[in-house]
Formats: sequence, C-alpha cells, structure tokens
Amino acid sequence: MRTFAIASATLLISARAALAGGGPVVPSFVEETKTSGIASVYSGEWQYMVGGGAAAFDCNDDGFEDVLIAGGGKPATFYLNKSTHGGALKFEKHTSGLEFDAMTGAYPLDADGDGIMDVVALRVGENMLMKGKGNCQFARANEDWGFAGGDGWSTAYAATWENGNDWPTIAIGNYIDRTEELEPWGSCTPNVLQRPRDGGKGFAPPLELKPSYCPLSMLFTDWNNSGTPDLRMANDREYYEGGQEQMWQVRPGQPPKLYRKEDGWAYLRIWGMGLAGYDLDGDGFQEYAITSMADNKLQTLKEPPKDGSAPKPTYKDVAWPRGVTAHRPFMGTDLKPSTAWHIDFQDVNNDGLADLFIAKGNVSEMPDFAMKDPNNLLVQGKDGKFIEMADKAGVASTETSRGAALADFNLDGLVDLLVVNRNAPTQVWRNVTPAAGNWIEVKLRQPGGNVNAIGAMVEVKTPTGRQTREVVSGGGHVSGQSGWVHFGIGDAKQAEVRVRWPGEDWGKPMTLGANRFAVLDKTKAEAEAWTPNP
Amino acid sequence: MSITRRRALQLGGAAAVLAFTGGIARAGDNGGEILRQWYKVVLMLVRHTATYSPPVASRAFAYLGVAAYQAVASGSTSLVSLAGQLNGLKALPPRDPSKRYSDAVIAHCVMASAVKTFFGNTGPTGQRVMAAAEKKLKGDALQGLPDGVIAASLAYGETLQAAIIGWSQDDGGAVIENMGFPMDYPVSKEPGHWAPTSPIRMQQFPLLPKWGQNRTFAMPSGASCGLPPPPLYSEDPNSDFVKQAKEVYDVTTHLTPEQIAIARFWSDDPMLSFTPPGHWIAIAHDLLEQENAGLDKSAEVMMRLGVAMADGFIGCWNAKFRYDYVRPVTVIKKLIDAKWEPLLITPPFPEYPSGHSTGSGAAAAVLTAIYGENFAFTDRSHARDGLGERKFPSFAAAAEEAGISRMYGGIHFRPAIEQGLVQGRCIAQFAIGLRTRSST
Repeated sequence: MRTFAIASATLLISARAALAGGGPVVPSFVEETKTSGIASVYSGEWQYMVGGGAAAFDCNDDGFEDVLIAGGGKPATFYLNKSTHGGALKFEKHTSGLEFDAMTGAYPLDADGDGIMDVVALRVGENMLMKGKGNCQFARANEDWGFAGGDGWSTAYAATWENGNDWPTIAIGNYIDRTEELEPWGSCTPNVLQRPRDGGKGFAPPLELKPSYCPLSMLFTDWNNSGTPDLRMANDREYYEGGQEQMWQVRPGQPPKLYRKEDGWAYLRIWGMGLAGYDLDGDGFQEYAITSMADNKLQTLKEPPKDGSAPKPTYKDVAWPRGVTAHRPFMGTDLKPSTAWHIDFQDVNNDGLADLFIAKGNVSEMPDFAMKDPNNLLVQGKDGKFIEMADKAGVASTETSRGAALADFNLDGLVDLLVVNRNAPTQVWRNVTPAAGNWIEVKLRQPGGNVNAIGAMVEVKTPTGRQTREVVSGGGHVSGQSGWVHFGIGDAKQAEVRVRWPGEDWGKPMTLGANRFAVLDKTKAEAEAWTPNP
Repeated sequence: MSITRRRALQLGGAAAVLAFTGGIARAGDNGGEILRQWYKVVLMLVRHTATYSPPVASRAFAYLGVAAYQAVASGSTSLVSLAGQLNGLKALPPRDPSKRYSDAVIAHCVMASAVKTFFGNTGPTGQRVMAAAEKKLKGDALQGLPDGVIAASLAYGETLQAAIIGWSQDDGGAVIENMGFPMDYPVSKEPGHWAPTSPIRMQQFPLLPKWGQNRTFAMPSGASCGLPPPPLYSEDPNSDFVKQAKEVYDVTTHLTPEQIAIARFWSDDPMLSFTPPGHWIAIAHDLLEQENAGLDKSAEVMMRLGVAMADGFIGCWNAKFRYDYVRPVTVIKKLIDAKWEPLLITPPFPEYPSGHSTGSGAAAAVLTAIYGENFAFTDRSHARDGLGERKFPSFAAAAEEAGISRMYGGIHFRPAIEQGLVQGRCIAQFAIGLRTRSST
C-alpha cells in the first residue's frame, strides 16, 4: 500500500518550515547503508534490466516496516526492521519463505483480509501470492486461492477492492515474451485481471486485458473522484506496436473497458516506467507523474470541471512549469539524458507540501543515456514549483537505481529512503532533517476483507491548509508499501482528520495531536493513539 | 504492372544474372534472402535505437547499402565499384584472385559488422537481437560451403566492412550526442522563424542543426538541389503566409477518416516506427522479397535507395537551417486559433522543406527508375502497428501521399511539401546516375 496526497493550494508554509529566503526547508539524510544490515543486490541478465523493487510492510505488528527486496537472478532477501524509535536504521536478515529467485518486485497486500499481510511477488516466470502466516512467515497460496501465477515477465501490479467484494481484484502487468530472441519487439504478453471468485475465497480465472502494451507500472486510482478507482498503466513504448498509455474502466460485474479517444483519453506514447498520483493544485483531482527516458511527465486534467460534473480523462503535461522534467542529470559531468524508474510523492520535510522522489539509472550500458544518473529529490515550494535538493539532502546516488521505498522506518515522523540498485547494493538513508515540521501518521482499519482500506481517502486539515491522500496498492516501479500514512503539518499542533472509506462518503472528523501515531478504525468513533516501543 | 512483368534493373542495363570472378555459385543461393533478413533486423533497430532520427537512419541505410553492394561488386566482372563515384570513397580492398569466395558470406559478414557498428549504441534488447541474428544468418550463409571458402569470405568481409566504416567516420554524422539535440543553440526570436513547439525540455533546440553540412554521398553538396524561399512572414490575412496557414487550419479542422488514416500511416515517428526513410526501405524490402530477388539486385536497390535518401536528408536539412522556417502550430495558435492542435506531433526542427517529402520524393524517383513508371504496389509496412495497408498505383503517388500526409497531420504548409518532393526528385538523380554496370 502506498499513499498519495492532496495538498491544498492555499496551504501556508510556516516560518519555521521555510528558509529565510522563503524557499522550502532543505531535507537532510544520512546514508546508513553499511550499518543498516541490508546487503542486497538486484542483478541478473537481460531479463532483469527492468524491475528491482522492494516491498515495505510490518509483518510482526511492532509498527516498524520490514522490507522484502527483489534480487533478480538471485534470491530475494527479507529483512526485519530492528530500528529503534528515532534511532539509526537497523535491519536483520530473516528467512521468511519469500526468498525466491527471478523476482522483479513485490507488493504487500492482505488478500484474505485476516489482518496479516500477504505478498504478491512479481517474477520472470511464475508470480507468487504468498499468504502471511504471522511472525513474518509466508506460504504459497497460488493453488489455495486460485491465483494464476502465469509464466510471463511480470513488471507491474495493482490491486483494488471492487465495491461489495471481500477479496481484491488484482491486475498484473507483463512485459515482452522473453523467448523471442529475434523479434522481441511487439511481443507484449497480455496483462491480466483476477477478480474474486463468486461466493468464496480466492480468485476466478484471470481475464486478459487486451491490448497489452508492456506496462512497467499500474495503479488503481480514483482519478475522477467517482468513488470507484480505474486502472492506469504506464506502458513502455520500446516494446509495443500500435500502443499508447492506457486507462481501464473497471466496474463491478462488468468487463474492463478501455478509455478511448471518444471518452477524452489523449494519445501519449512514452517509455512509461513508473507512476504516482497526487493532487498538487488542490482542485480535488490528482495529478499523475509518469517516469520515462529523457523526459518525465506530470499530467493534470486539461479541463477540470468547476461545477461538480464528471471530468474527461484528458490530461496535459505540466512537468516543465512545475520543475519536474528531471530529463538529465542535475549534477556531475555526465549530462546525457536520464532514465527514470520509481517515483513517489512524500513530504520529506514535513512542511505540508508533497515532494517528489525519482530513482534514476541506465537501463544497461546504453551509451546515449547518462551512466552516472543521480536520483532526484524534488522539494515543493509554496509556489507549487519543485526544486532539486537531492544533492543537498545527501541522497543523490549515481548508482543504477530502480525501485524504492519511502517510509518512516524508525518511526520518528520523518520519511526515510531505501533504494534498490541494479548490480550495486541497495542503499538506505535516514531522514534527519533538523528543521522539519510537525507530522501525524495514521493507519486505517475496517471490517471485512479490505481490512487496510485500500482505496480510502484520508484528509488532514490544519489551520494552514488541507491535504488528502489516497490509500493505494500499486504504482511506482515494482515497489509498494503498506504502513503508516504520513502527513507533514508544518507548525500545526494538531490536525482534524477524516476518512472517506472505500465505497462510502466522508466520515466524521477527529482531532489528532501533532507528532503522534494513530489507528483509525472505522468501527470506532475515536482514533486510537499508538506509541512505538523505544 | 505486375511483379512478373517488371523491368530488370534499368539503370545498369545489364542482365540480372551476374558473372562472378572466383565466386561460388550455389543452387538456391540464399544471399538475397540473407541480406533482406539483415534489413529486417536493421528496420527494427532503427525503431529501437534512441539516436535514430530520420536523418541518422538515412545515413545508416546509405552505408549499409553501399557495404552490401560492394560485397557483391568486389567479386563481379559486371558490377562496378562505387569507389570514386561516392564522395570520399577511395579504392576499396580487392579480393585475392587466388581464393574462392561466397558473395552471400561476404554480404552477411559486412552486414553483421556494419550493423554492430551503426547500432552499437542500441539498448540491451537490440544487442541481444543483433547477436541472435548474426548467429542465425551466419549459419544460413555458411551452410554447405567448404571451410576455405568460408574463411576467405569472412576475412574479406571484415576487411571490406572496415574500409566502409573507415570511410563513414569523417562525414559529419558519425557522432550523435544528446539524441541529436544541441546543448545550446541561438533560437531566433524573429517572427516567421522556427520556435520550439514541444514541452519536452531537450527539444527546445532543433534536431541536428549541422546535418545539412555533412558530406553527401552522390550529390556534390547539401546545397546542390536548392529551393526557392518559402512565403515571407506576414500577418496580413491576404498574404501568402497567412493563406498557407489558413489552408492547414481549414484542412485539419475538417479531416476525413481517410485523411486521418493517411496522416497516421505516414507519420513514421522516430522511436515509434522505422522513420520515413525506413518506411521506404521497408517498401523496397517487401518488393524484393516478393520477387525473391538475388543478392545482386537486392544490394543494388538498397544501395541506390539508401544513398538517395541520405543525400535527400542532407539536402533537406541544408535548406531547413538556411530558411529556419516556422511550424504551422506556432503560426496558427498565434494568428488563427489559440486552441488548435495538430493531429501529429510537430517535429522539433524547422519546417521548410518537409523532410518526409524530400525523402519520399527521392525514394520514389529511385524506385521508379528501377521498377518503372506506374508500378502498382501494396504497402504493408505498418501492418503490425495496426495501421493496415495502402495500395498505390505508382511510387510517385505514394510519395505524393506521404507529402500531403504532413498537411493532414498539421505539421507542414503546402510549399514545404511540394518543394520537398521537387527537391527529393532532384537529389535522387545523383543516386540514379551512379554507374553500377560495366556495360554502360
């Protein structure tokens, strides 16, 4: 589960959270790779040129997010989070049952709704749906739950709970036919959608989502605030023929339907590699950032309706005016075009404005693209424009990066960073930003199968503004999270929080104090405070 | 005209059956098929190699065509070397008269090596494809041949390709940086001149501004087929300048399904297709495949076509940066309709003349010289992209449709199309005039 936020355009930035010159607080990170206990490398031959993901989630109920890291041709590795509250980042290798080879990435998903996180492992070969047994142990559930692992080269995933279902609907995106040596282009393997089995646990046989155009990211997202998410795909134009970016309308009981030109869907063909959503302009509709090569997109609705009517899915690119094209390295001497992968919006300095992280790295010795391609940390200013601060923040790694997880690994209210690199060690940074603002972090709980409330919207209001985040499962680049939903709130001492539970209207607001964790249970009128063990 | 009634190569006037000096002729010689298989690989690599914009693609097609042609001509008593005919191409290494060779193996060898050179910068999948193709086609070429012939042919092929590659290195087009976009460029602020049309940052400067100064292949220089200037900038509604913009606007705001299909069919976007010159190579490939043409004809057709289009793009770029003309989207948004959008993506370089028109004019002239006027054919080159097929009564008709497709797409004014076709036909005469047969 990852979270996307909606920040009010009117949000005011506190004096504390701003530089003297009026710019945003410069985040500060300390790299703790060598002392973190994480020693994982994503590697392998041609079929691992894409992928390299991580799944971050809590598997032992201590509140700290543990991590599964794909290894490509080598077995994946699982790490228990042994960090202490506010301390250095510490992980410990743990045998979990998830140590598969051929893994490209993974996402946490409590598929059976038992309150124990399960894992979807994307692989070159059979995908695995692994049931969480508790205490960070997992067992194969493909057969028990009717999950079709297939035999593709899987590179994208997204899940949602369609209204009325206790089991999720899972979409799997597949890349090219890896057996095609002479004509691999145009051989995109069909993507599939698995819906719940009628009247019982598990899944019905998969539906093929044709045409399929080699997605490297997928996301179920409520782009039009209809209450029902649709399925966006970032497709890699390198491999499709006659393809483009796609969005599928997924409605309960109906076959998936592709949005077309007649619906307003605009033709866009890029090397789609990562996907993230966030309402940056406060109009109630999310912008979508899509990573690519030599250019990155930030899409906003071309004509957002002002009268409450349904929007058309027609987007325009505002990456340049917002300052997030990130099309070439911003530092160093290698100024060839960039190659961008994982992307995520998180507020790394707690000023109440979402920032943007992009993982960069050459596909594989492509001489026309930068080999030393620093990752980006684009920090949003109060004017809505983003400023590159990865170098100042200390996270401008020039390794060949792929997937990532931005999570508060030590539960100090600051979003930390883990980046999976190809043919180089995974890197870990602890966020130590001294002038960061206040924060709150929440977890959602509800009865029924969708216990983590995938598809919910969480709104946080303070005297200085309003932010809203969508709780999703998917997106990024083969990397996903399920944990605390983080909000920076600047100088505010408390915040008013409410939830739009999946398929329902907004609930009643609750007041939470700053710098606190809270569990929001749909069945309870009040938030439950939670405190990490020291 | 059906394929069985077509003329043999008009230009050389020689019979299709060639005499070989010291060569091995096998029943069912597969040299033509091997060469065409290599071109199929090349067409895929053009699409999937980031530096391969249309001018860059045309250059590769020219060198590959010359390499393939010289592979055959080096052992032929009837084919004439292009050394001394193409600019900068000096005498090429001869075969050893005491040895026996296979033209098919030599052709395979030069193609395998040249493809690795021209597409050495392709991505990991392209590298994998090149390796797989070399392995397969080498096996096909070597099958049943004596070891001595194989060894001599491979060795000569390497020598020949090294000479061709050496020749290519100083033509001005060998190094492409930043996907062809300069890191800095003095973009004119004057009305009527090219202005960036894309929100993509690297496309704020025009593609390959010095390409028109490259060494040409068969024509004397990039300025050899110069064009009259396009209409002068004016905001007068009765001016030729505004009239041409109004024509694009009127046409594109009332496009018929057929016009949309035409625009899409000839769109040939870099990275999403094999580019405009690749489109014509694909047409030629299919024609040669249909007639199961031998190595000699296949190589000569690809050589002439490649040289003509490469010269065409040099000439076109020479004129583009001489006139530095504004694109329709800039003009129409400013003077006619701020909300207007073209059907196609506007290419990031000056408008006049149309590159596809110049290239298509050149290609059609070459193919007409080889196959004749009114040679009907079906273009299926975009079938895999779901764009169907189109039938044409002649190559000239196809070129004219390629040209007008750019107006339907909203990316060119009429003068750029018409003058582009004229320029292409002019430039093609140099490739058509290359002497390939000793009897002429």
